[in-house]
Amino acid sequence: MKWWATTALSVAVVGAFITWRALSQSVTHKPDVAATSDLRERGGYLVRAGDCVGCHTAAGHYQFSGGREFDLGRLGKLYSPNITPDKETGIGNWSDDDFRAAMQLGVGKDGKHLYPAFPYASYTLLSDDDVLAIKAYLFTLAPVRSVPPQNELRFPFNQRFLMAFWSLFFNPNQRFVTDAVHTAGWNRGKYLVEGLGHCGECHTPRNLLQARARGSAYAGAVTDHWLAFNISSDPDSGIGGWSDAALRSYLTEGFAADHGPASGPMAEVVSNSLRHLTDEDIGAIIEYLRTIKPVRAPLTAGAPIASPAAANLAHGKQVYEGVCANCHHIDGAGNQTRYEALNGSRSLRDPRANNLIQAVLYGSSMETPLGQVSMPGFAGGYTDSDLAAVINYATAQLGGGRAGALDAASVQRSRRAP
Amino acid sequence: MTQNLSVNGKQVPVDVPPEMPLLWVLRDVIGLTGTKFGCGMALCGACTIHLDGRAVRACTTPISAVAGRSITTIEGIQADKVGRAVQAAWRELSVPQCGYCQSGQIMSATVLLQSNPNPTDADIDAAMSGNICRCGTYPRIRAAIKRAAASVGAKP
Repeated sequence: MKWWATTALSVAVVGAFITWRALSQSVTHKPDVAATSDLRERGGYLVRAGDCVGCHTAAGHYQFSGGREFDLGRLGKLYSPNITPDKETGIGNWSDDDFRAAMQLGVGKDGKHLYPAFPYASYTLLSDDDVLAIKAYLFTLAPVRSVPPQNELRFPFNQRFLMAFWSLFFNPNQRFVTDAVHTAGWNRGKYLVEGLGHCGECHTPRNLLQARARGSAYAGAVTDHWLAFNISSDPDSGIGGWSDAALRSYLTEGFAADHGPASGPMAEVVSNSLRHLTDEDIGAIIEYLRTIKPVRAPLTAGAPIASPAAANLAHGKQVYEGVCANCHHIDGAGNQTRYEALNGSRSLRDPRANNLIQAVLYGSSMETPLGQVSMPGFAGGYTDSDLAAVINYATAQLGGGRAGALDAASVQRSRRAP
Repeated sequence: MTQNLSVNGKQVPVDVPPEMPLLWVLRDVIGLTGTKFGCGMALCGACTIHLDGRAVRACTTPISAVAGRSITTIEGIQADKVGRAVQAAWRELSVPQCGYCQSGQIMSATVLLQSNPNPTDADIDAAMSGNICRCGTYPRIRAAIKRAAASVGAKP
């Protein structure tokens, strides 16, 4: 065939494919469903399981009224929308179809494409019934008039229509299908982990196009400044070596003996979501997590420091004794409550000390069976070299003997504008 | 939620929410005001008490975490031989200035000497760094710890 005919045919085939996929990105119309009290109650539980409140609430503002900042680094910043049923600034005018399009296709009312920071590529697995239950619950909230700040995204990321192409490639747009080979518990667990709980949105590394990298599902990623660890079933890099009891304790109470407490964004997930799930659902999550393909991904260090003296361990010990030992105790086993027990925590064994830096600078807070437990941040009262020294001391002393390699510059880079 | 607390060797019933800090229970509910509030965040040591013989900051210990465990406050420290020696040394060397941090200092010093009868300066630094003193009476605290260590060792 002549070259021009081949080219024309290829373009036509590709064009037809894209058009076909684009056309399939819409919901089939269904009339709005009357919300019953059952639907609202079920929706309330699903909203907890999906942790909507976490992303759709800004500190100090009404829940679900949006405005939480997402710092996407080079891409810029965006802010979550108001999902209270306010008619002007929230979703009060949205039909069931509108809401389903948002949750399953990532398309908001009037065709406005949503950014995949909203995890619609995970929520797309949700059944129509569950999506409508969630909407019914959200419509029971008091409408809050609140307009989030304008997004500050760099060109071309501020062109929403480009998300249509992102969706074409990365949103499977398929509802969850039960796999008859596995138990009902496993299927429920998969629905919760891959869909509602959207765990992969933090725990799976992303490619250049910001989509989850298929081959390394749950292999760990830095999300929102914190390292979300490898939760594949690998016994060394992941959670393959954790007992069921340890997993259950960590998910529902934010702590597991010999693994330490949940902190940062995971502490929020425990507080907002996981501690409210039924025993059965936690069991289902664990059953599914156990079958995630093991991914061996050891944590890599940054550039090594020149010498142990450069790690400033003596000064770090002094700072630890004066400030940290009050709660964490000299031996890291905790003083007042188990949430202070650091022994076995993966954060201490991370050569880059990513989470230690965040926790020491900004603290962490969690709702637990003991009430709210929290660690204050020390960004204000201590210099970068104080904090680098104490983190080096903690990783050397409590993290299994591996000397820390932080210098003051590493800490300084992690400081954020207030 | 009613529970029995073991405080200074006595059983004390209290009916408080489970997340109430032990410091509040000791001061406001039971009336033992020798333990002080300094920061409320386990950063100053003024609220130090003994829980099963460990020095612990009562301001961040929820009452639900102390069920069935034995609490000793500054009011009960004289029941222990080492505690008495620490109190005597504190008197002999006029350690307190304003006195606000001193309950916590004495409680931490007692635990140090109970486990380490002859502490070096580095040991004292390690054990006492969590108790801060705005008046700066640290040199007298250090001297009194050494004096108490000597007197506990000297007694037959």
